[in-house]
Amino acid sequence: MSAALRILRRHGTLIGVAIVLGYFWLHLPTTFVTARNLINVSQQMSMLAVVASTMTIVMAMGDFDLSVGSMASLSGVVAAVAFIAIGSIPLGVAAALAMGVVCGLANGFLVAYVGILPFIATLGAMTLLSGFAFWLSGGKTLFGGAIPRAFSDFARGGVPFGPLDATLPNLTILALVIAVVVWLFLEQTTIGRRLYAIGDNAEAARLAGVPVRALRFAAFGLSGLGAAVAGLMYASRVSSANPTQGAGLMLDSIAAVFLGQTMTEEGEPRVFATLAGVAALGLIGNGLTQMNVDSYVRDMLTGAIVIAAVAASSFGKSRAG
Amino acid sequence: MTLLSVSHLAKAYGGVPALRDASLEVEAGEAHALVGENGAGKSTLIRILAGVTEPDSGAISLDGRPAAISSAREAQRLGLRFLHQELNTLPRMSVAENLFLGRVYPRRLVPFVDWRALNARAAEALASFGVTDIAPDAVLGRLRVGDRLVVKIAATFLDDEASPGRIFVMDEPTAALNERESERLFGAIAELKKRGAAVIYVSHRIEEILSVCDRVTVLRDGVSQDAVAANDLTRASLIERMTGRSDAQAQGPTPAHAGRVALKIERLAGDGLEAISLELCKGEILGLAGLGDAGGDRLLRAIMGESATGAVALDGEPVRFRKPADAWAHGLAYVPRERRAEGLLMKHAVAANVALPHLTRLGRLGLWLDRPAERRMAENFGARVKLRATGPLQRVSKLSGGNQQKVLFARAVAGAPRVLLLDEPTRGVDIGAKYEIHTLLGEMAAEGAAILVSSSDYEELIALCPRIAILIGGRLSHVVATEGLTPQRLLEHCYGDAA
Repeated sequence: MSAALRILRRHGTLIGVAIVLGYFWLHLPTTFVTARNLINVSQQMSMLAVVASTMTIVMAMGDFDLSVGSMASLSGVVAAVAFIAIGSIPLGVAAALAMGVVCGLANGFLVAYVGILPFIATLGAMTLLSGFAFWLSGGKTLFGGAIPRAFSDFARGGVPFGPLDATLPNLTILALVIAVVVWLFLEQTTIGRRLYAIGDNAEAARLAGVPVRALRFAAFGLSGLGAAVAGLMYASRVSSANPTQGAGLMLDSIAAVFLGQTMTEEGEPRVFATLAGVAALGLIGNGLTQMNVDSYVRDMLTGAIVIAAVAASSFGKSRAG
Repeated sequence: MTLLSVSHLAKAYGGVPALRDASLEVEAGEAHALVGENGAGKSTLIRILAGVTEPDSGAISLDGRPAAISSAREAQRLGLRFLHQELNTLPRMSVAENLFLGRVYPRRLVPFVDWRALNARAAEALASFGVTDIAPDAVLGRLRVGDRLVVKIAATFLDDEASPGRIFVMDEPTAALNERESERLFGAIAELKKRGAAVIYVSHRIEEILSVCDRVTVLRDGVSQDAVAANDLTRASLIERMTGRSDAQAQGPTPAHAGRVALKIERLAGDGLEAISLELCKGEILGLAGLGDAGGDRLLRAIMGESATGAVALDGEPVRFRKPADAWAHGLAYVPRERRAEGLLMKHAVAANVALPHLTRLGRLGLWLDRPAERRMAENFGARVKLRATGPLQRVSKLSGGNQQKVLFARAVAGAPRVLLLDEPTRGVDIGAKYEIHTLLGEMAAEGAAILVSSSDYEELIALCPRIAILIGGRLSHVVATEGLTPQRLLEHCYGDAA
């Protein structure tokens, strides 16, 4: 294989994303690469960053979770309903997080112990939970009195960041913290090493003493937890909860992990690579919006970018392998 | 008349010869047996005839004309038919559909399948094979294994009008058949011979070969011997031809110093195993031998925690393993048969592969990955097994087969195992690596490990093990001492007819 092709395979995504961002920088000189805009993008992408980080855990094992969007929506609805019923923010948040863990573990149970393919199990969960969120919310957006002021204030708040003369939003900070925690979990613990072992060769891992079932079960629970956190972040940001607001997270998070995978040496899901994927998707979306490109054209371009990135990194692999 | 002539075929895989010089002459109207030990080259020869593998050298001719079998399609066109051990059938489709798979189904009003005609033809095809008790519209997957094989056989016999089958290659056709079904098959073979076709019959079952076949060609270490008429052979003389060693090295390993019992299994059953009981002492290397699918691999898996029933005791303590993780945690170590499919993490480095079962012990608080400790473990035990790699961070996919196998041994040894379970420990490794692995096993035993080795390499078993347990069809037949044992005698034991 020629050197050019090898470079394309290894760094194609980075090069491509850099070209696109460079283009935006040139054409939007005053509004694209500014602290204000970048911080704004980071806040917009914070929910996706959280879901994509926990999705990376599941994808490290070679599985994926289609129900994260529904779980995120349901999480916001559960919190809002709990706020109305109990009036306590901590209890509402706890109820939403518990819902996420339980739904995630239910997925994990179906996949690990019942033996259903992740695609089918989480597709079913996606539909089921989405319906449940509609039922629970009565099909309406819950807002106003349902969402306590203090809860919405979280998303509006931030920490002043001197050097940039700007405020880092709480949501951005939370997303970064979660990404770092996931990184510690995946890269620095024995459990993370075992999850990657399952992704490499599940049967070999099992025969070498990796408790494959228990780990798959738990990993889906973490994915549910991440989705619930993202749902709460979303509800806080828009001061409302409706049963469809997390819907976009599923495809985007899987796309971000794939995009990130194309930037790693082994082609494995790595959480910081996933964050780079999230950033690429966010910045490209932001640039296109600023250039007044319609949202459906944006969708077309995003889809094309993900396909092109994965194609570039797998180019020639099928024959080489 | 010579129908098929194969001369001087040779084939090597990655420098390891599978066939050196194989010739075979098959006459029209005969059943010709192809026999040899495991690894003698039978499968390679069949794969070449099937057009799946290309020989490195040698020639094949049909009806005296040179033939190039470049693909499975070409083999089919030339009139070769293959009946393999595995059932390549579609279990969700009906018997009739499976029978006529790949052929044009009878039609009605062109696009529609004429099911009645299809089923009638299927019934006819089965009847010509003496089968009247299998319904053509039954779903294949619901039939018994033996009946499924019969359907498969019938499908192989079905004539393709353009290129009728003339040479039928049967690889262990009776392995899953009961006596009645085997008789059906033999009847069909007789029928084929009458029609002037030839049968190449591969089997481990010597009685069958001697009664069904007319001539026998023996393959040994990839080299064929001249065909012999079956009538001139006895069971003993055929086995001697296969092993080629009537004298052989009679020098087994030194008898083990009898330590106390390390592993005791009682009435272990499930997955085709029948109530196997065994005792394995500290410092002992016990062999497991058998023919084909006798169950050595499944016995090791059962001990690792995949058995349905039975009891396991470790150093006298009853233990219950529900998954391999439990077995590793109790000081068992396992080297699986298929190193790529069942053993290695090919995308990972040597260190990660070696440390995998020992992560909890290595991790700080059992949780934080201690990479330096992991690397040291891979270095120490890599040296112990004489692994040749650029370092602990080299990816295992870059290593040779022998060194990959050593990675699995480093993994097994790293836990200082009380019991070591090995499935084909030196399969596909070069002589040097094999010697080093055998040396390692001797050292491990001397240090007190109890070792159970399942192998189809009889010389290996005789060289390593003072005692060998003989498995026949998932059952423990008996245990033989290797002192004075030859591979030939061991093979006889595996056939179940040595006292």
